[in-house]
Amino acid sequence: MNYGPLVFLAAFFALASSWCGFVLTPQLQIGRLQQTNTVGGAASRYPVARPGLAQQGMEVYRANGCAYCHSQQVGQTGTLLEIALTEAGTNQAATIAALRKLAESAPDQPARLTLLVPLPPGLSNAASATILEGLPRTFLRSSTREAANAAVKTLNATSAKAQLCIVPVGPDLARGWGKRRSVAEDYLFDLTVMPGSQRVGPDLADLGSRQPDANWHLRHLYAPRLEVKGSTMPPYRFLFEKREIKFRPSPEALALPDELAPGAGYEIVPKPAANALVAYLTALHADAPLFDAPRTLPPSAGTPASTNAPVVSGASATNAVPTNAPAK
Amino acid sequence: MTAGAEPQAGRVAVPVWLIVLFFLLLYWGMVYFDQASGWFDAQVYTPYRSGAELALYQPPTGGVDLSRGKAVYENICGLCHGNDGMGKPGQAPPFAGSEWALGNPNHMIRIPLAGLAGPVEVKGQQWNLSMPAMGAALPDDDLAAVLTYIRQSWGNKASAITPEQVKAVRTAVGSRTQPWTADQLNAIK
Amino acid sequence: MSEISSPSPPSAANPGGLVCSPAPPAEIDASCRPPLVVLFLCAAVWLVIGSAFALIASIKFHAPEFLADSAWLTYGRVRPAGANCMLYGFCMPAGLGVALWLLARLGRTRLVLPGLVTVGAVCWNLGVAAGVGGILAGGSTGFENLEMPSYAARLAFLGYLMIVVWGALTFHQRRERQLFVSQWFLFAALFWFPWTYSTADLLLLTFRVRGMAQAVIAWWYADNLLVVWLGLVGLATVFYFVPKLTGRELHSRYLALLTFWMLILFGSWGGIPASAPVPAWMPVSSAVATGLGVIGIVAVALNVQGTLGGQCSKLLTHPSLRFIGFGVVAFIVGGVISAAGALSEVSHVTQFTWFTVARGLLNSYGFFAMVMFGAIYYIVPQLFGIEFPSAKLVRVHFWTAAAGILLLVVPLAAGGVVQGLKLRQPEIPFTDIAKGTLPFLRASTTGDLLIALGHLMFLANLAGLAVRFYRARAISAWAAATAEIKPAEARP
Repeated sequence: MNYGPLVFLAAFFALASSWCGFVLTPQLQIGRLQQTNTVGGAASRYPVARPGLAQQGMEVYRANGCAYCHSQQVGQTGTLLEIALTEAGTNQAATIAALRKLAESAPDQPARLTLLVPLPPGLSNAASATILEGLPRTFLRSSTREAANAAVKTLNATSAKAQLCIVPVGPDLARGWGKRRSVAEDYLFDLTVMPGSQRVGPDLADLGSRQPDANWHLRHLYAPRLEVKGSTMPPYRFLFEKREIKFRPSPEALALPDELAPGAGYEIVPKPAANALVAYLTALHADAPLFDAPRTLPPSAGTPASTNAPVVSGASATNAVPTNAPAK
Repeated sequence: MTAGAEPQAGRVAVPVWLIVLFFLLLYWGMVYFDQASGWFDAQVYTPYRSGAELALYQPPTGGVDLSRGKAVYENICGLCHGNDGMGKPGQAPPFAGSEWALGNPNHMIRIPLAGLAGPVEVKGQQWNLSMPAMGAALPDDDLAAVLTYIRQSWGNKASAITPEQVKAVRTAVGSRTQPWTADQLNAIK
Repeated sequence: MSEISSPSPPSAANPGGLVCSPAPPAEIDASCRPPLVVLFLCAAVWLVIGSAFALIASIKFHAPEFLADSAWLTYGRVRPAGANCMLYGFCMPAGLGVALWLLARLGRTRLVLPGLVTVGAVCWNLGVAAGVGGILAGGSTGFENLEMPSYAARLAFLGYLMIVVWGALTFHQRRERQLFVSQWFLFAALFWFPWTYSTADLLLLTFRVRGMAQAVIAWWYADNLLVVWLGLVGLATVFYFVPKLTGRELHSRYLALLTFWMLILFGSWGGIPASAPVPAWMPVSSAVATGLGVIGIVAVALNVQGTLGGQCSKLLTHPSLRFIGFGVVAFIVGGVISAAGALSEVSHVTQFTWFTVARGLLNSYGFFAMVMFGAIYYIVPQLFGIEFPSAKLVRVHFWTAAAGILLLVVPLAAGGVVQGLKLRQPEIPFTDIAKGTLPFLRASTTGDLLIALGHLMFLANLAGLAVRFYRARAISAWAAATAEIKPAEARP
């Protein structure tokens, strides 16, 4: 019997199944995604397309293989439901009593709410006042949504203002690399998606939120060990040019210490590629609250629980040109 | 084997323990997929395990908390209008099903800010009483909360009122102390 | 010149009378010689070039200023260039060469149209050269394991098609109709790559899909190339050479069938990393598939052990078998590691660390390259009919390569685990973690150096053999052309 066609059919079937699973279905599910709305508070469209210089910067990122050392995807290992007080209200004793009561566990039920701030029973008025002074502050953590909702209602009824906070947690987030996990919508307008697979250097998904200073980025690209001690990143001096100072120093010239300075009469100026790359890096954001990656903004004092100001994400058009004068 | 002879394959059967191991691993795989995958839901990302779990973690809506509105209502408005929103004859008209409560938010905001006096028709009945400016002393968000509570309770289904709207109306109204009349309100869009 | 075999008359075993009698091995080898020489020699050259790039990339960790002023040699370009040289410059052509030889030998038929296959091989190498140059010049596509710019990749793909079409025809015209195990693996591999590559080319390079779907397709392509294609060709080679060189029969064709199904079914579903920003069902499916793939790994181990009769020392008898035995061990270890990575506790530690790099190197260097070395060291003397100039160099190559791979993979794996455990503790600053990986990287650079030396030995041996053969041929051809014409031959 000629087994040749059978071998072909077996291989065809196997590859067809994985093609359906990892080519067709992802295209149907995430390849046709459109802009979506943020959740919680006034909704804004997300993501917003990057400004033009940042798009060019992405090409520089791709051409120089930055993705071989830097990942652009943060993960999350869990989500916490926390209740914070934003305003103490008039009846502070009632508020403290309510907090204590909420954290009690009934004899037949496990405690669903835990107090994050110790509230010993014999608390004096002065001590209560001190605790309720430093608001906004998170007081309770809940293990279920309904317990959290009930707690917010109870606390609101005591004339204080309570707010339910949704807090994503994980080692990446604890490092400050993001506020919630990366999801497919974050990459919607990337011409080339480069999530990266190595963390030889830190993750860059939310870089624009934690390091928006364009000058820092330019100095870091020129001499990484200037900004980060002990860094193993190679210097990208070929993205800059050393040129003679004519008439007056350029506002774009880098401010470098003596051992790296180019010498009298010369200045280091970023090439367009460096400016584009920095525009891209400072436009990297991944913190907008979405349906599939929910979070609430941290509570701020005095503002009512309802108005969470929208997060401006992905669209900070920091087309920043460094404006420091060179050290003479 | 002679030189140039190609290898042959023997016909030893696959050991049974390997087949058993395969099915054990298949079982593990199915259980793991059931628990962790969200069953092909495009919006479920780890660590969430299902769409239902994801729904539990959605932030509270940007609207105002009805419980706050209820607290304010039962403190201030319910004494006359009834905690059940049915009104009290001779004291205050009902809110449940009332076209004023469900209608133009600009009217609803103005009434507690300056009061309402004179004849007014509510749900086909004529009322002619005088309401003081019960909401003039309330902060914007409390007033917004109680108005939203009125518009979304007892079967009422109307849009929420935000503190921004209250603030805008307050600015527009200024320091008016004269109670509104129904005709004046109806003239406002 | 050996005699051409003629079609045999109809008989009981051959009712149609159409099947020719098997071609003698020497004839098969002679037909394979032109394309395989091009494939193997160019592969050896790419190997040396690739290990030079890998060495440069490795040194940059210890001396970040090393060659830092050259845009062409920045880490982000030299690292993918080295990886592409290794994968597309060595692994695939060597695999194709061995595959063609195996299909011809197992089918007892000559290779069909070797001249066109040679053209395909040249086309492939031109494409790879253009691709590596393009990466260094900044034209990388940005997709891992698919970095070659589209113009170069398509040229190489054209070469691949030219090679496999004739390979498939060789399979079709086989005179030995009963299939050996290796032939299933190779026949599947022949057209596995065209489907995955053309999908990747269309959806990533030509009509780009939107957003994260790009990354999913890129991961699917990379997994199907590195795990399935290399696995199919590598295992085909193992299942051929272990029985052949030990003089025994392959233990079980049913275990091999199980391996085949496990590899093509579950191997092709792996590839999506656990941390990926895609809906949860994708990484979970990949994890389940990889976990189930361990059955195929166990089946290979049982098969090889059974073929050797439990006497693993037999692997040390033949120099090729040493390489292949090392490759089998690396395959089993790597497969078990991958299956362990299906557990989320493991993948949460190893993700984004050097461990994943080590796992990939164990697969491409430790398994596939070593198996290919073993196969090529057997095949090339058969092609030329003469032995290697230095058999000792083959042994030294083995020990250098084995030591190099161990020194490369083990420190990277250990360093990766340490890095991963520290990354899970947010109070440890990131620069401390980066510094902590440096001792491990230092050890791996020594591994890189040893591997590069081994590759030089490989190239020297192959080139020496080819030079010796062709010089002898050239001398005899010249002598025949310039010999005096005997009076009896002269026309009146």
